[in-house]
Amino acid sequence: MNFAFTDDQLALAATVREVLAAHCPARAARTERTPAWSRLAEIGLFGLLVPEEHDGLGLGLLDAVLAFEETGRVALPGPVAETAVAAPVLLAGDPLLGKLAAGSLRVSVRVGDQVYSPDADLADLLVVERDGVPYAVTPGRARLTPQSGVDRSRRLFAVDFDLESDAESDGVTRLTAPVAPAIRAVTVAVAAQLVGAARHLLETSVGHALTRRQFGVQIGSFQAVKHLLADVAVAVEFAAPLVYAAAFAVDRGLPTAGRDVAAAKAAAGEAAELAARTALQVHGAIGYTEELDLHLWLARVWSLSAAYGGTALHRSRLRAEILGSAGPVRWP
Amino acid sequence: MDLDFTPAEREFRAEVRDWLARHVPAAPLPSMDTGEGFEAHREWERLLAADRLSVVSWPVEYGGRGASLVEWLIFEEEYWAAGAPGRVGQNGIFLLAPTIFSYGTAEQRERFLPAMARADEVWAQAWSEPEAGSDLAALRSRAERVEGGWRLYGQKTWSSRACHADWGFGLFRSDPASARHRGLTYFMFPLADVTVRPIAQLDGEHGFAELFFDGVEIPDDLVLGAPGEGWRIAMATTSSERGLTLRSPGRFTATADRLVRLARSDGTDPVLADQVARAWLDAEAYRLHTFGTARRLAAGEEIGSASSMGKVFWSELDVRMHTLALRLLGERGLLDGGAPGAEDGGRWLDGFLFSLAGPIYAGTNEIQRNIIAERVLGLPR
Ligand SMILES: Cc1cc2nc3c(=O)[nH]c(=O)nc-3n(C[C@H](O)[C@H](O)[C@H](O)COP(=O)(O)OP(=O)(O)OC[C@H]3O[C@@H](n4cnc5c(N)ncnc54)[C@H](O)[C@@H]3O)c2cc1C
Repeated sequence: MNFAFTDDQLALAATVREVLAAHCPARAARTERTPAWSRLAEIGLFGLLVPEEHDGLGLGLLDAVLAFEETGRVALPGPVAETAVAAPVLLAGDPLLGKLAAGSLRVSVRVGDQVYSPDADLADLLVVERDGVPYAVTPGRARLTPQSGVDRSRRLFAVDFDLESDAESDGVTRLTAPVAPAIRAVTVAVAAQLVGAARHLLETSVGHALTRRQFGVQIGSFQAVKHLLADVAVAVEFAAPLVYAAAFAVDRGLPTAGRDVAAAKAAAGEAAELAARTALQVHGAIGYTEELDLHLWLARVWSLSAAYGGTALHRSRLRAEILGSAGPVRWP
Repeated sequence: MDLDFTPAEREFRAEVRDWLARHVPAAPLPSMDTGEGFEAHREWERLLAADRLSVVSWPVEYGGRGASLVEWLIFEEEYWAAGAPGRVGQNGIFLLAPTIFSYGTAEQRERFLPAMARADEVWAQAWSEPEAGSDLAALRSRAERVEGGWRLYGQKTWSSRACHADWGFGLFRSDPASARHRGLTYFMFPLADVTVRPIAQLDGEHGFAELFFDGVEIPDDLVLGAPGEGWRIAMATTSSERGLTLRSPGRFTATADRLVRLARSDGTDPVLADQVARAWLDAEAYRLHTFGTARRLAAGEEIGSASSMGKVFWSELDVRMHTLALRLLGERGLLDGGAPGAEDGGRWLDGFLFSLAGPIYAGTNEIQRNIIAERVLGLPR
């Protein structure tokens, strides 16, 4: 038992953090759809999970999970989790993997409990599940209907395409990889992004509580404010280990992986929603504006919390797994 | 990161599990807050000690096995999962002993630790006073210098099981000119020399006591660390208390598993079932988090104020789990061990009442939230 990240894993996260700090400031997240994409490609983010024979690094989710936390910390726009985490699994064995690893194939994904495809208009390839079967669809064959919503830097689209009988045709390829592992992996990546976003929201709220003064003192000196923020710190602190353990379970293909992923997503979603709600309260009216960057993170938390199965869905899965089975498999 | 246990860790777990299967009493021992129950629990501690299982993480020379923190956590998981008795020696073992290891003299270690490991001497902690609860630094009990030692005066309160225990430890103001955190000294004292007035708790049993000191004479070798340094030394105790050793995850994972078994029957209200699943998950989160903490401690890092987050988390989880159990059981849940209709010998009710103390003792959760806000997040005092 060794619950700690390796130096390499920490170093990768630090690199991603540096790159994002330099190339994805909040003003980029406001105006650009895929800021820092090429920089992230340069440091190999899109090849992390691609096998070495396809020019990737052949690493696991555990190697990537902290890096994904960093992408959440800056509310990074673009189909990053879909391209870097879901696509390598869905396109297993496909010659496109080389392009994917290089960061020159953007992928939008709609599988499992997803209703819409995120950032589908930016994608070079769409993976869409229909009647339980995943298809790779080229943009030319896909009909996109924008579904505008709260998160303007993670746009959603309904995607449709024509299938000539059951056969494949130009631009529509039936994928053979099972979908479930891809869903699990991308759900963990999104859970990590939620943890990262929650950490940012906490830091930002603390920063505001230190600078904003009322009644002649810093608002952070009021105990009501302190305790709100302390509760966020506790929620984030105890959500993160579930996300890391889920990454481990997915990498190892443990029998508990389904349960662990549901646990990670539910806990990370709830912690991040609490962080968002508290951040807004601590900021007061300035937080309720578009002028302040805070809204970027609020919207991202709401949209990711609902993505790949919302909290209620994952919680009901957990309920079935924990209460429905004969005995909780906790340790060997 | 590797969440698998090593072969040595598995072997250790198997040994502990096997030992517990052979030794845990079939019927629960009488409450350790009663005289009879206290002695029954002391006998149980001796049984553990005979196989070096009472203090697995201590060095061999003091009765332990030199086990790693992870092994200690494994021991705890198995211990509570097996439904083994509460640890009557816990205040000494988990709260005083770490301080003796860090600040005690070789003679003090030799004198007190082996007897503590065997429960020949059971310890009570004496911090709180009538006017000093959360604000411990307001304490008024004092120590007067005499030839070769000290005389203790004043009053302590809420000292758990002090009416049955053998020794006490706590802070006394040794410098009359001092205020607040300065001028305090850490003393150990035999309870036989102190007037002890038992106090009945919510469940009617004498779970804690008031202590009156009217000039008890204490030799110098019962001072722990340097005189006047008591606050710093005591804080070292409370940080291990809030950190790892006070409430290991094993307690909560065991409770969560029992709760799940309770909720598995057909017809469980889906809302309650949902909360049960969530509680189970929170216990798992605390468990994983603690393995992370153990690893950081083993690497020589300090956990410091971050341990306040754990205290808030486990104490509120414990209340939630027991509240849920009582909701699932309805009226039967409120029956005690004496009632024929009680579920599981009234353990859920006992556990419920005890869980309610969790957010109060070891620094209330409001105090912990202050600490998190000020020392972890850096908000102004
Ligand atoms: C079952 C049990 C066993 C115990 N065992 C022992 C023992 O063995 N030895 C021992 O010495 N003590 C023991 N205690 C006492 C325990 O340490 C104290 O109860 C605790 O420190 C709180 O002090 P108090 O009870 O005086 O409450 P108070 O300090 O009076 O607090 C009352 C309320 O006010 C709140 N409050 C106080 N100050 C603040 C603040 N600054 N900010 C926000 N809120 C605040 C508290 O959080 C609490 O809600 C035990 C208590 C219990 C319940």
